[in-house]
Amino acid sequence: MKSRWLGLLLLGALLVVLVLLPLLVNNYWLRIATGALMWAGLACSWNMLGGYAGYINFGHSAFFGLGAYATALLMADPLGLPFTVTVLAGIAVTAACAVVIGAPTLRLRGAYFAIATWAFAEVLIQFATVMDFTGGIGGLSLPPFLNERFFYFAMLAAAVLTYLATWALFERSRFGLKVKALRDHEPAAEAMGINTALVKLQTFVLSAITASVFGAIFAYWVTFINPRSVFGGDITDQMVVMVLLGGLGTLWGPAIGGVALFVVNRLIWMYWGDTAFYIAILGAAIVLVVLFLPNGIAGLFARRRGGATVLDKTVEKLARAGGGDRN
Amino acid sequence: MSAATRPQALQPAAATDPILVVRGLHKHFGGIKAANGVDLEVGRREIAGLIGPNGSGKSTLFSLVSGTVTPDKGEVRFDGRDIAGQSAYKVARLGLARTFQIPALFDNMTVTENLLAAAAEGHWAGARERAAETLALLRLEHVADNRASDLSGGQQKLLEFGRAVMRQAALILLDEVTAGVHPNIRKIILEAIAGLRERGVSFLIIEHDMEMVRNVCDRIIVMDSGRVVTSGRFEDIVRDSEVMQSYLGRPQ
Repeated sequence: MKSRWLGLLLLGALLVVLVLLPLLVNNYWLRIATGALMWAGLACSWNMLGGYAGYINFGHSAFFGLGAYATALLMADPLGLPFTVTVLAGIAVTAACAVVIGAPTLRLRGAYFAIATWAFAEVLIQFATVMDFTGGIGGLSLPPFLNERFFYFAMLAAAVLTYLATWALFERSRFGLKVKALRDHEPAAEAMGINTALVKLQTFVLSAITASVFGAIFAYWVTFINPRSVFGGDITDQMVVMVLLGGLGTLWGPAIGGVALFVVNRLIWMYWGDTAFYIAILGAAIVLVVLFLPNGIAGLFARRRGGATVLDKTVEKLARAGGGDRN
Repeated sequence: MSAATRPQALQPAAATDPILVVRGLHKHFGGIKAANGVDLEVGRREIAGLIGPNGSGKSTLFSLVSGTVTPDKGEVRFDGRDIAGQSAYKVARLGLARTFQIPALFDNMTVTENLLAAAAEGHWAGARERAAETLALLRLEHVADNRASDLSGGQQKLLEFGRAVMRQAALILLDEVTAGVHPNIRKIILEAIAGLRERGVSFLIIEHDMEMVRNVCDRIIVMDSGRVVTSGRFEDIVRDSEVMQSYLGRPQ
């Protein structure tokens, strides 16, 4: 009970600091804070399916990019729609795509879903590169709106909503019990009456539309996007490493990993002016975490004695052949 | 629990017809005939024991009845409905629960969460109270907040059984639920089975321990090579030397 109050107090203090941050730091650091919030939110969205359901999405950037392109296309001339409308349009397109990709592949276990999501993101890069209406390889420009505080608060609102929804849905509801049950043992979950195909699809759609909202804000914020900058595989890679580092299948792991890695990324960029070194750090981080810290940083604070980990279950799903006939 | 939320199978209006009827059930895996024309029945409030040598098709029968595996042909009637080939979650929702031979727990969830997850679909009202009752019934209160994968082997068996209890099922299939557990834990499970039967639950139990079969089961069903060889009271079955030969692999 005592630790619970302490946790709530810390959380309240963090929120106060976040709300007051624009008064405390200059625009340069405010931009870094905006980016950190975006990555914390994106990592959390990937973790919904990857951590809570155990299904690895290797093409999550597709949904980030769909949100970004929807907003860019609809806000620019000739349509010039308001931002709130373009965010909703991005959500709708993303949800439709997630259903089309997920419905057939989430029924199968094994690597099918991972491969399908990876291929989908690759297809979108090629599509956005060759088509005229997406601006081809040159990308799209959005009407500039140079108000750092607006984007900071937009990312903050999206991140807070994402974590609140994750907490309510995955940590405090029947739905979360079903999701975690199918992650840990799919045939047993089915034997408990859980329609695992449906629950997986619902989780996937939720995860995808969350990423699309961050993509929409990102596009409006940076005012210029191209296929690689919003669909690129390195965007997914970063989310995966952030979640693994912070703690797969935990509420706060993605926030810890997301903020930590993004700040490292910016520091490297500041001192070396190049982020090639950062890619090497990502690679090293993933190896070290898998070997020595399977429960991530968040796992260091949990009371547990070895046994199975969430990572075990996720890897098991990737490796296992399709079909539901095994115990 | 109101009549509206009660599973249909537990309605007092239920007739005296068998809760489970299996007719001519076949399943081949490649050349192996795991089910080769299985016929059996389980009566209402009956505790039926399913015995037979390893590989005789007992666990496959459980998978076929519970929808985990789709039969090639044959009929499975549960509470009057044809459920052959239905998906496992639909069969479960009709009021049939099962345990797995190798405990199939939700490893990264706590003991309480495992029980709640079992009730998350269809039996949510009062689930927390029932989880507390089930913890008490199975003497698992002291590990309620432990992760399932941190439990001892015997405790895992108890939890596997406890999840089936949480389903409020009309028929429970138990797959060697007391195999290899301490006598104290076995006693807890046997008492729980007896208590549930008093409340109208039927059981089909795979069991190798003849002492347990003798003490608990109303009737024994003997399987060999994917078929039911015979069924009857324990004493009659044991007297039948052919059956014992089939079961023990040597003449009595």
